[in-house]
Amino acid sequence: MNSLMKDTYVKSNLGNLSLRLLILLLSIVILHAEDFTYTFNIDKQAPYVKEPVVLTLSLNQTNHDLVMFFNFSIKKSKDYTFQRINIQESDSYHNAKVRYFYLLYPLRSGDINITFDLVQKTTTDESIAFSIAGDRDHVEGITTIDTKIDLPSLQLKVKPLPKDTLLIGDFTLTHTIKKHNAKVHEPIPMQVHIKGTGYPPILEKLLPKEGDFTRFTEKPIVKSFLRNNDTQSTVTYPIALSHTQSFTLSPIVIKAFDPKTQRAYTLTVPAQKFKIQEVEPHTLVDKVDSPDVLKEDWSWLRTLLSYILVFAAGYLTALSWKWKKRRSYKEDHPLIRKIQECKDEKSLLQVLMATDNKDLTPSIEQLESSLYGNGKIKFNKIKQDALEKIK
Amino acid sequence: MNEQIDLLKKEISKAVIGQDSMIEGLLIGLLCDGHILVEGVPGLAKTTTINALSRAIGLDSKRIQFTPDLLPSDIIGAQIYNPQNHSFSIKKGPLFTNLLLADEINRAPAKVQSALLEVMQERQVTIAEETFKLERPFLVMATQNPIEQEGVYALPEAQLDRFMMKIVVQHNSEIEELEIMRKAASKTFGEIEAVLNKEDLFKLQEEINRVHIDHEIEHYIVQIITATRDPERFGLENLAQNIMFGASPRASIDLYKAAKAKAFLRGNDFVSPADIGYVIHNILRHRIVLSYEARAKGVHTDEIISEIIETLPIP
Repeated sequence: MNSLMKDTYVKSNLGNLSLRLLILLLSIVILHAEDFTYTFNIDKQAPYVKEPVVLTLSLNQTNHDLVMFFNFSIKKSKDYTFQRINIQESDSYHNAKVRYFYLLYPLRSGDINITFDLVQKTTTDESIAFSIAGDRDHVEGITTIDTKIDLPSLQLKVKPLPKDTLLIGDFTLTHTIKKHNAKVHEPIPMQVHIKGTGYPPILEKLLPKEGDFTRFTEKPIVKSFLRNNDTQSTVTYPIALSHTQSFTLSPIVIKAFDPKTQRAYTLTVPAQKFKIQEVEPHTLVDKVDSPDVLKEDWSWLRTLLSYILVFAAGYLTALSWKWKKRRSYKEDHPLIRKIQECKDEKSLLQVLMATDNKDLTPSIEQLESSLYGNGKIKFNKIKQDALEKIK
Repeated sequence: MNEQIDLLKKEISKAVIGQDSMIEGLLIGLLCDGHILVEGVPGLAKTTTINALSRAIGLDSKRIQFTPDLLPSDIIGAQIYNPQNHSFSIKKGPLFTNLLLADEINRAPAKVQSALLEVMQERQVTIAEETFKLERPFLVMATQNPIEQEGVYALPEAQLDRFMMKIVVQHNSEIEELEIMRKAASKTFGEIEAVLNKEDLFKLQEEINRVHIDHEIEHYIVQIITATRDPERFGLENLAQNIMFGASPRASIDLYKAAKAKAFLRGNDFVSPADIGYVIHNILRHRIVLSYEARAKGVHTDEIISEIIETLPIP
């Protein structure tokens, strides 16, 4: 804030409307309540949109018999935004002097009313004494009598800004681009810094509409603090761009207006050309953590077949043992061998008798009939029959 | 006469399906006045067969379940004091019957077994001071369960010798079992009627005595029995170490009688070596005492008998 318009007007809170309007026109407001007086002070009466206005309220206790406190704030409105800068208070209970400092930005042009909330809180020495006497385990609030004070609103005549103005204040713009050559789809980092004093330079959209490249944007990094009744800000816009082919970023042009100097100016990032290098798609594949190439997985079939093969091998092996055993039983069974070695009927009868096998009874009877009766037999046939029954 | 045997077998088959070897063994025992030892698991129609046989011939039959607490007087009978007339009377035991089923004979202690086996041999019973002759025919069919060997009193070899035959009863074939199952479910086992009487039985026994047996066959029988005692003499050196004791003279007698009975049952009036082959295992199975070595090797008496038959030349 380079200069402040300071005019002081005094008005009684019981005064009439015409007198108040007259005083407002003079930008001096002095108000008087029953137990205290209050004075509004604004540094400019007709600011531009988003031009900072410093508002000061001074409260002075006039009834010194009471112990008095105040609660003051500006009512919120979509017509303006504000921020409290400071509060100055006296230490005396019976002679309260409080000064509130606010920085206010009107958000639209035309007449806007600034309204306030003020509460007068009165109490007694005894109440304060009791409150102080309470130890930390027995704390009681000070009992006060609260009186809401109706303060008159203040009116500002806000002037409009030049057309398409985005920034209000004294700002400079710088930018950093890491590289102008990149590969396909490779992000190109870029930062735009807007620094200066004035309404915080936060823009919804910074990049131009032109261009079919891919935009990567993040929330701007805002660093703001109050200084000399204004706001000093540094806003950084992190951006990244990428494209499949070479492209040109159109110039970024931001219109600004400085209310102090009444100067309209532009902040510019000149057009930027980026060269995009073609790359082979396979080189973009992650060689370290890359997944396997998508293909039909038939490994389960191989596993299944191997299991079947192993099972079949085991089964056939077991079966072969069984076959071998059966064959060797058939070939090596002593009874079979004995029957095969029989040369005559008697020896065969002997062998068959020894078996104690009921199945061989017909063969025994035939042999018996031949040997001890008149039966006729074919020796080899009986032998074969006996062998078949044993097998 | 074979018609009577066929009739008898047919009548028994009304109640007993299969088990031909057991039925034939019983018939041989009955015809030869011998006793039968049956080895087999429970449920193989042993009692049914005895009952069927007794009813088919019109004989009396009884069954004794041998238990470890059985006393000789429980089977023989006892002298009972009558307080009314201050005298003792004889209460005859279940031994007084024609056909006796001694079930699980090896479950009774030795003194009970001895009492029974003595009766089997002597065919008379002495109770107190009185001796009673047992009515003919008298046949004991004793059973042994081969699968339960805990808490049994194995019959001594000397007493086993008194059984003419030891028959190993096998389970029925599947077809037989199916028929048993159906008949048992529908209760269609036929009623046994007496087709023979005692006199017929005695006549049959006389006919068996008339069955001719050649001297060579007689020698063959003696050779077989001798071979069990002295196998080395017959070129059976390998059997010598397996046999502790060979068969007794009772074995010769029983084999002789059984062979004749078998020939008779087959409808022959002479004994052939085949008849000996049919009965030899049942006659000798329980009479050959195996050595420890043979038992350790798992040699069975049937194998020894078979080897003897194979080795000795038949007449």
